[in-house]
Amino acid sequence: MSDDTDFARQVEALRPQLLRFARCQLRNDAWAEDAVSDTLLAALEKPGSFAGRSQLKTWLVGVLKHKVIDQLRRHAREATVLTTDDGEDLDESLFEPAGGHWRESPQDWGNPEAQLGQRQFFEVLEACMDHLPPTQGRVFMMREWLELGTEEICKELQITATNLWVLLHRARLRLRECLQQRWFNAAKPA
Amino acid sequence: MKIRRTCRDVTRLVLESQDRPLSGLESLSLRLHWLACSGCRRFRLQQQFMRQAMGRWRDDRDNG
Repeated sequence: MSDDTDFARQVEALRPQLLRFARCQLRNDAWAEDAVSDTLLAALEKPGSFAGRSQLKTWLVGVLKHKVIDQLRRHAREATVLTTDDGEDLDESLFEPAGGHWRESPQDWGNPEAQLGQRQFFEVLEACMDHLPPTQGRVFMMREWLELGTEEICKELQITATNLWVLLHRARLRLRECLQQRWFNAAKPA
Repeated sequence: MKIRRTCRDVTRLVLESQDRPLSGLESLSLRLHWLACSGCRRFRLQQQFMRQAMGRWRDDRDNG
């Protein structure tokens, strides 16, 4: 078999993973397919320039991040529509309406090192991110996965800084709540 | 702007501090609140935990 065929196979083998990353960020299957196809096309232009699978993956993920931003920019209007879930504020359920005190005081989550050493923790974290409402999930991932600054996110999505803060605020509170329920309150293997 | 803040307000500022620099007055009001409120101190630790977790997650995902 030629090197090129082998290269094509390696690229193809990484496709499911890239598709999962793109879906998680874009929350739209068609956009994700487009972003991943553009990424793989870019890789096929460069056979022979990667030393091994891990270098290829790192490169592909780097390209994917750019292609994903292209999709977000192209679909900015649809990407910022708020679903009912996106609009819901957890503040009401967390704080007393009168004095603004915690209804239930936040718990001690313990030593991060102990938890972050467990693979299951990250499975729960990913599941919780996937459960964010779509627009909250998109902006949260733009911040945490694409590592974009807030000004850049506002520019790409054509939203105001205040709108962005509100969305990130809701996303972070939801993620915290989900981790509390599904990890810290759940019985964990010792 | 007042220096005494509710837990709800402090929570909003702690979250926003991940996305924008806080003013001196805002930072001071957080410090003063934390001195008196163990719930908000724990919330702050939870957010540091999440930041660490997201950093680890990103590394694993992109280079793992």
